[in-house]
Amino acid sequence: MLLALELLRWWYGDGWRKRAQLAGHRLDGTIDYFSIGLLLKTLFSPFRQISAGRVDGPIGVQLRAMVDKIFSRIIGAVVRLLILLVGGVTIGVQVLLSVLLLIGWGIVPVLPLLGAVLALAGVTL
Amino acid sequence: METPVTYDGASVRAAKARLGARLGGTWRLIFLLLIFVCIASGAALVVGGVALGWVLVGLAALPLMALEWDKYELTEPRQVVGSVDGVLASDVLGKLGEHPTPQDVARASASVPSGQFFALRYGITSGFLLNITSDQPADTAALWEHALEIKELTNSPSLSGAVLVVAIIRNFADYESLLAHMQLDYEDLLAGIRWYNHLKRLIDTSKQPRRTGGIARDFSFGYIPLLRRFGQNLSESAGSRIVVEVDSHLKALDQLLETFGSGGRQNVALIGEAGAGKTTLVHAFAERILDAKASIPESLKFRQVFILDSASLIAAAPGRGELEGLIMQVLGEAYSAKNIIICLDNAQLFFEEGVGSVDLTNLLLPILEAGNLRIILTMDEQRYLQIGQRNPSLINALNRISVAPSGRDETIAVMQDQLIFTEYQRKVTYMYQSLAEAYRLSERYVHDLAMPGRALKLLESAASYSEDGFVTGNSVQQAIEQTMDIKVGVASSEDEREKLLNLEDHIHERMINQVHAVRVVSDALRRARAGVRNQNRPIGTFLFLGPTGVGKTELSKALADVYFGGEDRMIRLDLNEYVRPEDVSRLIADGADDPASLTAQVMKQPFSVVLLDEIEKAHPQVLTTLLQLLDEGILRDIKNREVSFRDAIIIATSNAGADRIREYIERGYKLEQFEQRFIDELISSNQFRPEFLNRFDEITIFRPLEKPELIQVIDLMLSGINKQMALQKISVNVALDAKEFLVDKGYDPRLGARPMRRVVQRAVENLVAKQMLAGTVAPGTVIEITRDQVVAMLGETTTPATADLPL
Repeated sequence: MLLALELLRWWYGDGWRKRAQLAGHRLDGTIDYFSIGLLLKTLFSPFRQISAGRVDGPIGVQLRAMVDKIFSRIIGAVVRLLILLVGGVTIGVQVLLSVLLLIGWGIVPVLPLLGAVLALAGVTL
Repeated sequence: METPVTYDGASVRAAKARLGARLGGTWRLIFLLLIFVCIASGAALVVGGVALGWVLVGLAALPLMALEWDKYELTEPRQVVGSVDGVLASDVLGKLGEHPTPQDVARASASVPSGQFFALRYGITSGFLLNITSDQPADTAALWEHALEIKELTNSPSLSGAVLVVAIIRNFADYESLLAHMQLDYEDLLAGIRWYNHLKRLIDTSKQPRRTGGIARDFSFGYIPLLRRFGQNLSESAGSRIVVEVDSHLKALDQLLETFGSGGRQNVALIGEAGAGKTTLVHAFAERILDAKASIPESLKFRQVFILDSASLIAAAPGRGELEGLIMQVLGEAYSAKNIIICLDNAQLFFEEGVGSVDLTNLLLPILEAGNLRIILTMDEQRYLQIGQRNPSLINALNRISVAPSGRDETIAVMQDQLIFTEYQRKVTYMYQSLAEAYRLSERYVHDLAMPGRALKLLESAASYSEDGFVTGNSVQQAIEQTMDIKVGVASSEDEREKLLNLEDHIHERMINQVHAVRVVSDALRRARAGVRNQNRPIGTFLFLGPTGVGKTELSKALADVYFGGEDRMIRLDLNEYVRPEDVSRLIADGADDPASLTAQVMKQPFSVVLLDEIEKAHPQVLTTLLQLLDEGILRDIKNREVSFRDAIIIATSNAGADRIREYIERGYKLEQFEQRFIDELISSNQFRPEFLNRFDEITIFRPLEKPELIQVIDLMLSGINKQMALQKISVNVALDAKEFLVDKGYDPRLGARPMRRVVQRAVENLVAKQMLAGTVAPGTVIEITRDQVVAMLGETTTPATADLPL
């Protein structure tokens, strides 16, 4: 009896906290996997760096470098936005599932009681 | 806060731990099965129109809760400060009853992983622990007290099986002698607990997910096809969680981060001896900057470290111009990519001409001076100085960070980390004793690497000598004995014991008389092999005084043969070749320049007889250099490496005062009667300084041989000849009067017995050779040689026996 009480105490105390912590870690991992912070910080940076620093030379060369860079920035922004979109959806789904799981966690101990009530009420599918 | 020494076996935590211990793998499987059965059958019933199915579905929650509880709480219930049961590791607590005896604690500790760690690493088994514990519950309180003390001392998170094993030993009244039998001490056991805690931490950390930037990490950086071809990306191989254990290395790592994190010249030269851990440091740096959670400057985050492969670069570019062009392309690519840190490991390969190396100073210097491209160079001190001498501006352009060799505790900690990989690859288990032994022996005998590399190298080679999969101290000894061909263990085999106990007899098999000299030398050797000697000095240091040809060199050879297993174990130096002050440098020259130098020879063969012939002729500065050797058993070579003479027997010989010895003997004195007076005379006549003579363990005077002894010398020589002819099944027998004639002819008062070998050779060997060629002897013949034959043979020789010998 004492152990059953201990189980309940843990379930609604450390257990729930642990579950939330695990959900947080998973979310953290997904954010890292999609490089969300980096993508936001470098949204308009050139994609895969086509040249480093300033380009010296005739105006034609400089113009060409500038066009290249702008083109690279546009490609970069598109690719990054796409990844941000996929990442955002994944994270959203994950957050939703985690919240449901945490709510479900709180209900689990009353499930036997709930089952009995439903059985007594004669609910069938 | 101090934990009171009370144990409550009926506490809630104890009950949880016991329940956790009972819910093993089988129960978990049953719970999983129950969950599945309840949900599946319940759902089927509900779908089939039976409402009772909801009860089954609801009941599935109970095994689910039990499973979760077991996984996250029962395996390690939260600690409760204030009692022993509150801080006991749950795996041990779960196995203890309400009133455990010390034997129960021993049994429980030995059966859990942390206790088994001690069985594996130290050989402290369950049986051993049960033998030293009582079965009285009243004795347990003292055990808890020791355990709590050890927990504090080792900073352990709980009273684990490892802590309890050590507490059980500590609780034993005569624990120090007990440990001495296992060649351990109390500190070694505490080190074992720290080792276990460290491994557990490593395992826990490796379970944590790594955050390394994700899929878009390198989007803002350039492509690097050339670098991928000619370099190794350390950041990609990072992930093995390199732990930096050495304090000085931690400092160096911080300096690396600081240098690259600040705005100065972006290059670092890691300078340290080979084996000190420079490359490991670069690996650790690569791993650190790839960790999203590490507190490092933003400009370093997610940068990648590439080691350039000089061999593949040189192979890909046949000419110097092509090579320079290729390297410029590679470096240009690294610069453009913006996230690359180049590492030139063994950087001397890029700064000097040689096999597999090319001098690119002119190309690299401007890049290093500009400091825009991040570059790490690793080099040993010697090469750094040499390159600096040739090109001071190169040294000025570099930010130097020294990587010092590690100390004992640090080296053992590094070994503890590294051996995990070796154990996995070689399928062996290293015992603690093997680590301590690897440190001790490598420090003394491995010279080409610094710590911790040298200890690791020895430890790895010891894996091949494991006993039943365990690498013990003995395995390490065997490894060094086999790889360096030296003896390091205490005499153990029956053969060797017999040889040591009867050393005098063995030596006298090849040496006539000189009983006193043989005895003092034998005593010194017995002390050494029994382990009763000062380990910080040579095995023995002897000064042999006496005329030429009385057996001084012969005794040295006999020692090399009997003690070290062969006459080739004698390193002989004629000190009459070291008569100038500048000859000191020849004595301690580097083996690469002069393989015959004393230090080079001893480095190669530390277990030797070092014979310093005619020591009185050496220059005083040479003698001063040798003083340190005699005193501490250490000599520093020209590269300042410590060369150990602590496993060598040092014998110095001198003819100084030979005439006085002869004079004393002729006047009827016995050795013991004039020994001290003779040594005083040597000092007063300035032939030796007293401080030099005092450095020797023994000064032994060899007396001139008398005629009957010389006949025995002839016998020894003849037995040598017979041994040589044994293959042809022919032997020689020389008549007594012929031997006397040989002694008369061969003995020279100034040269002792030395000319006799030549006389015997001329008389006996020539005679036998002639008879054999003439076909007058057949296999199985004993050639009898008479006095007349010897006279005739020696008469044929026109030159006297000693004529061509230096006087």
